[in-house]
Amino acid sequence: MDLIRKNKKYIIIGLLPALLFYLILVIYPIGRSFYYGFFDWNGLGDPNFIGLKNFTEILTDPVFFLSLKNTMFIVVASVFGQLPIGLIIAVILSKKMKGARFFRSAFFMPMIMSTVVVALLWSTILNSQVGIINTLLNNFGLQKFAHDWLGDPKYAMFTVSGVIIWQFVGFYMIIFLAALQNIPEEIMEAASIDGAGEVKKLFLITLPMMWDTIMAAVVLCIAGSMRSFDLVFVMTQGGPAHATEIMATYMYNKTFSIYRYGYGSAVSLTICLISLTFIIASRVIMRKKIEA
Amino acid sequence: MESQNNKIKDKSKSFVHLGKFKKILLYIILGIFGFVALYPLIWMIYTSFKSNNDISISAFALPRKLHFENYLNAWETAKIGVYFFNSAFVSIISIIITILIGSSAAFILSKFEFKLRKFIYTLFIIGMLIPLQSVLVPLFIQMRALHLLDTEWSLILTYTAFGLPVTIFVLESFMRAFPDSIIEAAIMDGSSIPRVFFNIIIPMSRPAIATITILNFLNNWKEFSFALIFITSDIKKTLPLGLYNFLGAYTSDYAGLMAALVISSIPVVIMYLVLQEQIINGMTAGAVKG
Repeated sequence: MDLIRKNKKYIIIGLLPALLFYLILVIYPIGRSFYYGFFDWNGLGDPNFIGLKNFTEILTDPVFFLSLKNTMFIVVASVFGQLPIGLIIAVILSKKMKGARFFRSAFFMPMIMSTVVVALLWSTILNSQVGIINTLLNNFGLQKFAHDWLGDPKYAMFTVSGVIIWQFVGFYMIIFLAALQNIPEEIMEAASIDGAGEVKKLFLITLPMMWDTIMAAVVLCIAGSMRSFDLVFVMTQGGPAHATEIMATYMYNKTFSIYRYGYGSAVSLTICLISLTFIIASRVIMRKKIEA
Repeated sequence: MESQNNKIKDKSKSFVHLGKFKKILLYIILGIFGFVALYPLIWMIYTSFKSNNDISISAFALPRKLHFENYLNAWETAKIGVYFFNSAFVSIISIIITILIGSSAAFILSKFEFKLRKFIYTLFIIGMLIPLQSVLVPLFIQMRALHLLDTEWSLILTYTAFGLPVTIFVLESFMRAFPDSIIEAAIMDGSSIPRVFFNIIIPMSRPAIATITILNFLNNWKEFSFALIFITSDIKKTLPLGLYNFLGAYTSDYAGLMAALVISSIPVVIMYLVLQEQIINGMTAGAVKG
């Protein structure tokens, strides 16, 4: 038996296909892009070695910093939008009221839709001519609150973040709901006997007991929103006038519309480093808080 | 004493003991959130049956007459039908390859002993952390080098490769829990390793394979970024990419656009209605553990 489980032939036959796919299409391209980041290359001619020039250009480009700022805006809006709303809904649903199952399914629904569908649906809803948001505001005599939601640089980032929150709330609701169901009922009973009210139980028992889950959700939410691209790209393409430019749209616009693959590779690498730094930093900080 | 205990238990457990006013308040909060979550989707469905003229007269009103021709137009004129089958083809072929090579790799990683086992496993798992946008340019350059740009295979290969980390993560931990004695007994009876894999391991892994199939299908069906940079010919576009172009080509055909959105959501919504628990668990469990 042991001989079979160390049999090189089977190990190679079983593992090689997956490993080849993965090495050729994931690991190798990333490594190669690391290399191209130091070249000036339009994709056709010979790459021209230029050292750190691509990176200095990124770090001195105001549009890149704007895109970094906007990405952070989405991260912050997601953490302070998706998580509290998801938590409120989860706490209400955990009361086992009638229809809880229906609401649970309903809130998760936007999560399974394609982001492109969500983006196009909301673009239409927010459209200044046929959209229902402005129609609603006009019907209620609130014309002054009707805006060109995606076309006005002042509101575009808020609008985009709102749609992202709408899409992902259900995901965090499910995570919180699972944590709430893990809180032993005896504790709640004891608190009730001691005369604790609902609000008191929520802040003194429920929230502290699910703190680990909340921290994990914060980390997930940061990682998830750093990754957003599809929604912003479809709704605004980073416009108007870079108002909603995020790191990913910046990379797309710099690489695929003006064919600067060396520069694009350097941007990819920078995004990767910034994202990983944030994800790792958030994990470390959250872990410390849990221990404290 | 007994009955009093029960009473308290009932109280703390449920919604029943909350005052009437509080109950109504909770339903109102839930109702508002529920409305915001669902109304856009409901609006999408009924708007898809209106004429463009009706939409511009009133964005809210229900359709006065069901305009099924919106669907016909979207399916044929706007080529949503073509994109639909492209998406189905690409998604299904990638899943088949992912499951085939992913499950055999998971089997080797969970039940065999060799030097690089841990290293290779970690290499696959790291794939779940890589931000997608940081691989768009590298993959584009790679696909061009392989002369696969603007082919279905560029998408099939990419979706397969990027489906492997989560597939191996789920299947490896599932197969690891199988007792070695099952494999040993089968070997004693004269089965070869491939037979053990196909006749014992695969059937036993069915629940995990089902979860992975659903997850990969949803991911592939929704995927936009890779399709955007790889595919240029209209007849090879997948649904998300085709929908994206709908906006440019038929800017004012909102009814047609809504019909196209409904068509592209039908498969995932049906899946969701039938396999809700597996989908919710699959999408959230992996995230929390990872």
